Formats: sequence, structure tokens, C-alpha cells
Amino acid sequence: MKKLLALLLALTMTFGMVACGGKDTTDTGNTTEPGTTETNDTANTGDTAEGGETTGDATAITIWTYPIGKFGDRDAVNELIAKFNEVHPEISVTLELLDYTNGDTQVTGAITAGTTPDIIMEGPERLVTNWGAAGKMVDLSDLWTDEVKADIEATSPSVVSACQLDGKYYEYPLCMTTHTMAINYEAFEAAGALQYIDEETRTWTTEDFQNALKALKDAGATPVNGIVYCGGQGGDQGTRALVNNLFSGTYTNAEHTAYTANSPENVEALTLLQTLVNDGLLVADPAAQASDELQQFANGTAAMTFCWNASNKAQYAADVSFTPFAMAFPSDDGVPELCGGIWGFGIFDNGDQARIDAAKTFIQFVCDDETQAAASVQMTGFFPVRASLGNVYAGTETEADADEFLTLMPYLGDYYNVTGGWTEQRTLWFNMLQQAFSGTDAQTAADTFVESANANIK
Amino acid sequence: MKTKNRLSDTPMSYRIFTIVVLILLAIFFIFPLYWIITGSFKDNKIIIAQDPQWFPLTPTLANYVKLFDRPALQWLLNIVVICVGAMVLTCLTASLAGYALAKKRFYGRAFLFGMITCAMALPKQVIVIPLLQEMSAIGLHDTLWAVILPTVGWPFGVFLMKQFSETIPGEILEAARVDGASEVRTFCSVVFPMIKPGIGALAIFTFVNTWNDYFMQLIMLNSEAKWTLPLGIARMQGEMSNDFGLIMAGATLAAVPIVAIFIAFQRYFTQGISMGAVKG
Amino acid sequence: MTQRSNAAASKQPPKLSIHQRSRVLARKETLSAYLFLLPSLIFFLGFVVAPMVMCLVYSFFDMGLNMDEATFVGLGNYFEMFQDAIFQKGFLNTVIIVVVAVPTVTAFSLWVSSAIYQMKAFTRSFYRCVFYLPVVTGTVAVTVVWKWMFNPYNGLINQIFDSVGFNWLGNSSTALACIIMILFTTSIGQPIVLYVAALGNVDHSLVEAAQVDGATKFQVFWKVKWPQIMPTTLYILVITTINSFQCFALIQLLTSGGPNHATDTIMYYIFDMAYKYHRFGYANAMGVILAIIIAIFSAVQFKLAKSET
Repeated sequence: MKKLLALLLALTMTFGMVACGGKDTTDTGNTTEPGTTETNDTANTGDTAEGGETTGDATAITIWTYPIGKFGDRDAVNELIAKFNEVHPEISVTLELLDYTNGDTQVTGAITAGTTPDIIMEGPERLVTNWGAAGKMVDLSDLWTDEVKADIEATSPSVVSACQLDGKYYEYPLCMTTHTMAINYEAFEAAGALQYIDEETRTWTTEDFQNALKALKDAGATPVNGIVYCGGQGGDQGTRALVNNLFSGTYTNAEHTAYTANSPENVEALTLLQTLVNDGLLVADPAAQASDELQQFANGTAAMTFCWNASNKAQYAADVSFTPFAMAFPSDDGVPELCGGIWGFGIFDNGDQARIDAAKTFIQFVCDDETQAAASVQMTGFFPVRASLGNVYAGTETEADADEFLTLMPYLGDYYNVTGGWTEQRTLWFNMLQQAFSGTDAQTAADTFVESANANIK
Repeated sequence: MKTKNRLSDTPMSYRIFTIVVLILLAIFFIFPLYWIITGSFKDNKIIIAQDPQWFPLTPTLANYVKLFDRPALQWLLNIVVICVGAMVLTCLTASLAGYALAKKRFYGRAFLFGMITCAMALPKQVIVIPLLQEMSAIGLHDTLWAVILPTVGWPFGVFLMKQFSETIPGEILEAARVDGASEVRTFCSVVFPMIKPGIGALAIFTFVNTWNDYFMQLIMLNSEAKWTLPLGIARMQGEMSNDFGLIMAGATLAAVPIVAIFIAFQRYFTQGISMGAVKG
Repeated sequence: MTQRSNAAASKQPPKLSIHQRSRVLARKETLSAYLFLLPSLIFFLGFVVAPMVMCLVYSFFDMGLNMDEATFVGLGNYFEMFQDAIFQKGFLNTVIIVVVAVPTVTAFSLWVSSAIYQMKAFTRSFYRCVFYLPVVTGTVAVTVVWKWMFNPYNGLINQIFDSVGFNWLGNSSTALACIIMILFTTSIGQPIVLYVAALGNVDHSLVEAAQVDGATKFQVFWKVKWPQIMPTTLYILVITTINSFQCFALIQLLTSGGPNHATDTIMYYIFDMAYKYHRFGYANAMGVILAIIIAIFSAVQFKLAKSET
């Protein structure tokens, strides 16, 4: 029996070696991956030696990206890093990809453990409102030169204000878009509902919307007209914009200091949606997330989706067998105010100035380099925040797709995602919808939401 | 003989009822796995289609191509290393500790047992934040050890092994002592053979539970090269789209080896395990 | 029980032996016990107890993402909990899950085990494997596939019941039942493995003696087999209780606690608090309370099980 025990011990030891060995091989495994050859953190010294033109020590930085277009694609980002290393061989960049389902948990964990990356790519609602407000991010004011500020303001002043908090810039933006909805063009055509939309401006009024729903239902074009999804971690912009636009309500006040989703306009909108659901013109699905709703749109179950943008269009291109036609949200005055999405980079304060400087160098290369900036924006599938870049899709094969969304860009409304308690309101918002569609009176549900959401504004 | 006797005791109708229910349940339990495996050979368009396809009529390997585009085999290796490591260490430490708790009277025994029971009740998701801080302080964060060590510390194994060790008759231990056997010798030649089936059960439970504990893996492992297969699958769910085919392919890759292990090893822990009396 | 008292008696040196000698023996036994416990204790103290203590400490602080700026609030977090309507709702749901799932899982796995443990080795292995499948398939895959089958528009369940459009997970009266059903399928594998083994190990001479005495099948089970598998039952009860209390991934992936908190559990709410609201102090306080509740449940089960044997 001693033999058995010895065997167990031996197993443990070999296992230890395997684990350590595994660690080594995984590190080297990283180098052999396409595109990462120049960017391995363990090979710093080698890199500098080969680089030749640089003096001093190499700096190793880490970047985590949320899946924003091709920034969720390892090969594409590594290609970008390789291009960066041609200019800056002294900085080695390690990439990790995040996803929206688990990314926040992972970043939260990293913050508590002090293992945050140097650079992170996402929007102001996380970079500024969450992590910037908690004092975890580096102030990027020196990147925001007057020239940059003017260039971005020329596109939309709200982008500039969204990236800062109390005079400090926690985000350096790269791209933006408007979140729209989309209709199944063929289904609308079959139901004779195209008369209710303005194909030129891609807008419709609240009345058009209701008429279109009736026409769709009478024709039985699709099993359901549209699904108001009330769950999930994201995609809340779709339902927010739907409610806010129907009677031109606002989500927060102009100063972004309080939520106003219980205003008479919003309550009227919620009540209308309740009626539409009760009449079978729309379906409310308390368990569905944006991805579930999009899937039902893509397979032809629903005639419209409330969660659409250039990235989703590309994502579902292979799955649809109809023409998804991007539309603004219906609005009583016919003038929609669309929610914006802004994405860019922020730097976690890890206390090492050399790494902060290296991170800034990287961000500037991605966002400002003459040859790279347009390509970086193209990677996202969205539109540049810098007016000077012009139409980055002109002459590319995706120009037509991009134009569809470019038409809707002028309807970009207030960027209110920087209101305090933003993460909390998302959960509360979905819960409010769940209540409103399970019998709770619209006013009560909205009041509860506003009360809880405002309580989180610090 | 006696088995036959007993069976013939049972009314025919009850036996048929049992068999029918068992078969129905088997279908119910097998079906999700069937759906996962067949789903992994379906095109995403077919998966999300309005009418479900009971069998992949146009099977495709595209999902697997996509899966192996990512370091899926590395992930598989990582999770196997984690599970085997946790399994071996847990079996080793828990069988020693369980034996001591069951068969030795010592100062602090009741306290220790109480603490173990309480610790089992503590949700992992709660202690994971301090645990993460600890791991990063000792430099193990983002290594496979960061998942293995807390799993080994989890006191389920000790509790289970204590239950098994209770069945060891005290007379045998006393006899070994009278013969002048050392403690180590007693454990190796008397205790160990008696609790071997229990260790088998503990091994498979530790393996499977560690495999499924993707939350711990999510928090502890950051680099894609350190990910595990269950974590990789969990992270295939998007905010705006779910690539079901890819998830199913990953799940198939994960399920097949573990089902094979279960089938291969089940005979080791199903013979003659029993738990001892209830003590606290 | 007799075995145990024998063992205990033999441990205790006879009264006539010298007092000092027994103390030396006890000390020696304690030392050797701790040597056996040492490897396990290193892991247990280092990676479970230490963070556990930290949790307890954190639960007295108001602590956000910026952990250095935590403020001491004493029992503030604990008081808040009892006024938090969502916590109460979560508590209720958790209790429902436990009260429904634990007896069902235990009774059902016992029934399946007693039905299959006398079958041919192959059939027995087959069923044991089948019921273990949902466990080995992995939580994420199982939940994804169930969510897909529950889909109101093109899910299999609605196709089978011809109820297209019915929203199982989106309806507050069915969502929790669905969660419990899936929890059930992922919980019974381990108990069945243990019960099959325990039933196979029941002392046959006692069974035969009882049969000779003319006991019915029912009596044989309750009077002879049931006491012998009691320790296994206790283990299964405790483990299932803990697992049901800590049911989390299922809820996160299926309903995120919705609709309207109908499937919120304490465990999910703790996760929400920590990772969405970044209120670590409050989350930890709830964690401590949850642990205490589970510990009480387990203690009650221990007591009941003890009084039955």
C-alpha cells in the first residue's frame, strides 16, 4: 500500500510539473499565434535588441477589448498591434478579449485584485461613469489637445462631454454610431406597410408605427410583429429609445443629474406599448435579451428589431434571408432622437508612469496616426468621432451598408449614458419593463424605476 | 437467487411501470445532450430557424472549424490539468483528514468539524473577491494554480471522506496498533484499502464539480491561453448574438471526454462504498 | 451504532490505567491527528478560512470599487438587508427552491436507485450514466440548450405541447418552476451514484433474516435498508441543500432573476450586488447571512438524521 501512496505522491509531483510546464508552453504558444510574434511580453528584451532603433528598456503593456466590431477578433487586433510595433518596437502589447456577458465581472475582479490591464476599450458609460468615477483611470487631458477637441466637437459636442467627468478626461474616443431599429423590408412590403415609412429619411411617426403594426398583423406577414425584450445585460438602448421617442420624452434631465423616465411623455409611451401588447400588435418578452430578439428577427419570426446598428447588421448578414432595413425609432413629431454609442480607450492607473506613457503612445497610434486612424475606425464598423477623417468607408465594399447608417447619424440625440448610477439603471430599467408588461400600471412602474435609479446617483 | 426472489415479489404492473418511467426519464435526460451534439453539426441559420430540425439534414463541420480556430485544445488541456490536479490533491488530503476526523479523538475536533460544515455552507461567489486578492498577492493570479488551490481547500472532500471512514471498525485499528504498526503504516495498509471505493467516488465528484465551476475559472483566469473549455464556452455568448452552433461544438468537445471518463471509472467507486454513522 | 460505541470504548483507555498515561496517550493522539489533518488544513485555512474571515470583515464596511476608501458602517449592511424588498423576495424564492428541490431530488434519486441497483451490471451502468449526463455536460451548455428548447417562438417544448408563443421563462408563474426542473435534472446524478452504491452495500443477512421473519417488502425497506443508508441520505441532503441554496449559474444564464424578480435568489442577488452594483460590503453581508442560513439548515438535518438512527 505504500506503493500506492508513493504513486499518488508521484502523480502530484508530475502534475505539478505538467502545470508549470503547461504554463511555459502556453506562453510560448502565444508567440506562435498568427500576428502575435512581435508582441509577446516574455520576449521583450529580444524585441528591443532586434528593434535596434530604440534605446532604453522595453515596456510591456496589456490591452483588454470588449467586442466592438473587429476589436473582438483576435487576429484583426493582433494585426493592428503588429503595425504599431513597426513604428514602436520598444512597446510590447499583450491582448485579451472580453465579452459582454462576463466582461464586467472580469474587470471588477481585476480591479479588486489590482490586476487591471493598462488599456481598456469600451464606451464612456463604463470607462467614465464606472471606473473613472471610482478613481481607477488615468486622466487623459494631455491627449485632448485643442485641435482634437475642435475636431471631435465638429462631429458632436456630446462626445466631448461624454468622455469627461469633473474636468478630467477618462476616455479617448475612436468611433461612434447611432443605435437604430430595423424592419423586415419584404414583410412590410407584403403587408402593404411600406406606405407608413419614409424610405428616404428612414423615419416614421408614432401613428405610422401603429398603422404599420395593424397592417402587419392583418396580413399575418410574420408570426409576431415585434418583440419588446425586457431582459439581459445589454441592448437596453433599444427599448429606451423606443419608449423615449414615441412621445418625445427624455430619459434624463439635460444636466444628466436625474432620471426622468416617469415624465408624462414616457408614461404615455409605456401605456401605448402596453395597449399594443394587449392588442397582440407587439409581444413583450420578459425573459428575452437583445440577442434573443435579434435572433427572432433574423429567422423571420419578428418583422422588426429594436436593437440594430452596423455591427449587428454585419453579425446577422449570413443568417437573414430578407432585407433588414434600418429605421429610426417612431416619434410623434417625426423627428427621432437616437441613442448614441461611443467607443474608445481608457487607461487604468497601475502606478507605473512608463506603462502609462506607453499606453498613451498606443492609443494615439490607433486613434490619431494618419495611416492608421481610418483603418481603426473601419475595424469597428462604426463612424469616426473626428470630423477630419470624413467618410472612412468611401470607396470600400461596405460603403453601401455604412451609408444606410450614415443617413441616421444626424438624428443622434443627447448622450445621457454618463448619468450617475448608469450600470444600476440598466438592471432597473429592464425590471421596470418586466413590471409594466406583467400588469403593473405604467405610472407606478416608471415611478419606482426613477426613484431607485436616482438613488444610485452619487 | 435471492435477487430473483425479491423481483418476483414485486407485482408485474409495478415492474412495468418502473421500466416505462425509467425509459421515459432516460429519454428526457439524454435529449439535451442529443440536441447539443446534433446542434454542433448544424448551420446557425438552421439552428435559429422557426421550425426545429430534429436531425441535421445538411451536417456541417463549420462550427468545429471555428472552434479549433481558437485555442480550444489548449483550453481542454488546461481544464484537464486543473481537474486532475484538484482531484489528486483533494483525494490525498481529504482521505488523510477524513480518517483523522472520523477515527481520532483529539482536542479541537468538534470545533474543526463545525468549521468545516460552516465553510461548506459559504457560497463561493462571496469569498471569491478576497480569494482573488490573495491570489494576486502571492502571484498566482491568472495561473491554473489559482483555480486548483481553492478547490482543494474546499471541505466537501473532507466531509465525504469522514463519512466513509466512519465505517472502518475500531477493532481493526486497535489490532494494528497492538501489532505495533506505525500510524502511517496503519493508514496505508489498513485504512486506505477500506476507503478506496470512497476515494474513487470523491475523485469523480471533484473532477466533475471542478469542471463545472466556471465562475471560479472566470474570475481567476484572464489570458485566453489560460482559459478552460467551460470558460471558453461561457464566453462564446455574445451581447447581441449567440453563436449556438459554436457553443454546441464546444460543449460536445467538453462533454465527450468527461462522459468517457465517467464510464471508464465508474466501476471503481460503485463497489462496496458505504458511509458511516451520523456524528457531528 | 454498536460498532461506533465499540470503537469509542476501545479508544478510551480502561479506567484503571494511570491518569497520567491517558493524558500522554491523548496528547499523542492529538499530535498524530493533526499531522494527518495538516495537508488538508493548509489548503483549508489558506484558501477558504482566510478569505472567509476577510468576507466577514468586509461585511462591516461600505465598500465600492475603490476599496481603499471603504467606510466602517458596523451592522449597517445587515440592517439594510432586512429592509431590502428584493432581498426578501430573493430569500422567499431561495426557500421555495430548497423546499421543493431537496425532498424531490432525494426521494427521486432513492426511487431510481432502488429500481436500478438490482439490475444487470450493464443496465445499471447505463441508467447511472444517463442520470449523470446533465452534470457532466456542463452548466453553460445545459442552460443554453434548455433556453433554446424553452424559446416561446421556435422552442421544442412549445412545438411538443402545441403552445407556440407561451413564454415559459418570461411568465412569473412558470419561470421558477422551470428553473427548479432544470436544477433537478442537474442535481440527481450524484445522489443516484451514491445511493446505488449504498443500497448494494446493505447487509444482506439482515435483509434475509427479515424476509424469513415474514416482513413485507415495504417493511424490509424501512426497517432494514433505510437505517443502513441513513448516512448516505444525510450526506445527500446536506449537499443538495447547499447546492440548491447556491443555485446561481442557471439563473444568471436563463432569466437574470426576472421576470420582475420572480426568479431572484439570494445567491443571484449577491452576485448582482457585487459585480453590477459594486457594493462589496453589502454583498458580503448577504453572503454571511446566507452561509448562516445554510448552516442552520444543515444542522437541523444532522439533528433529524441523528434522532432517526
